[in-house]
Amino acid sequence: MNKEIEKLLFNPIRLKTISFLMSVETCTFKALLEITDSTKGNLSIQLKKLNEGGLINIEKYFQKSYPTTDYSITNKGRKSFEEFYNQLMSFK
Amino acid sequence: MTKEEQLSIINDAIKQTKTNLKPLGYNLVFWGVVIISMSLFHYFFPQIVQYSYYSSVIYWVLIPVLGMFYTTYYNIKTGTKIGYETQLDRVIRIIWSVFGLAWIFTVGISLIYNVNPVQDILFLLGIVLVMSGLIIKFRNITIGGIGLLIFTVYTYYNPGINLLLVNVIGISFGMLVPGLSLYFQKSDNLQLRY
Repeated sequence: MNKEIEKLLFNPIRLKTISFLMSVETCTFKALLEITDSTKGNLSIQLKKLNEGGLINIEKYFQKSYPTTDYSITNKGRKSFEEFYNQLMSFK
Repeated sequence: MTKEEQLSIINDAIKQTKTNLKPLGYNLVFWGVVIISMSLFHYFFPQIVQYSYYSSVIYWVLIPVLGMFYTTYYNIKTGTKIGYETQLDRVIRIIWSVFGLAWIFTVGISLIYNVNPVQDILFLLGIVLVMSGLIIKFRNITIGGIGLLIFTVYTYYNPGINLLLVNVIGISFGMLVPGLSLYFQKSDNLQLRY
């Protein structure tokens, strides 16, 4: 498995985010904040890293004049997570 | 982080994914009440609804279209509040959106050919209810849908039956009662986990 991806998923917040996004279509920042039990600043940094690694999509838009951001997993993210999970299971 | 800790994080995150079925219950109850009220009003006050050909068309098209706008607004608002959409949410949304389009198409065709669309709509509704019930694994909705399908087939063989009363009986047992039982389920039982 790609070492960079493995390094990306080694962080608990990033791993939790990717795991959650695997089972949903889209998710807001607020929901991710609750799921990861993280601070806004930290979560923003981790999401940016996941996005730079091509594992998640970030879609920004306005809803009733308020800026909203939706997050979803990319095909690369899905494939990487599956590889990562299979690798973990093989060690079990 | 050990491998066990990583697996535990993955399991915890996936366990937090829940499909909240209460909004679906609300939608079923809302449409059940609207259609039953409209049918009863039409049955008891035909002179008002059937004042002219266009008045009954406006009555049976305008109110449901307004209802569609309201439920779309409600579903968007609820979705925003929950903050995420699961694959199951998406499947349910697509199925009911397709039913909405099929309803518009059926009503349009019935206006062109001047036929009553009640039985066709109830048949479609029965199929969608059975599909929804099976997908969310909620027996009452599946049974309601099957009952509605059987009832609709029965009405095809009894052409003299009053279609407004057919609407009331079919929607009550196929949509309203299952919708109420879904809406008033304890919230823990209303969340499908992955």
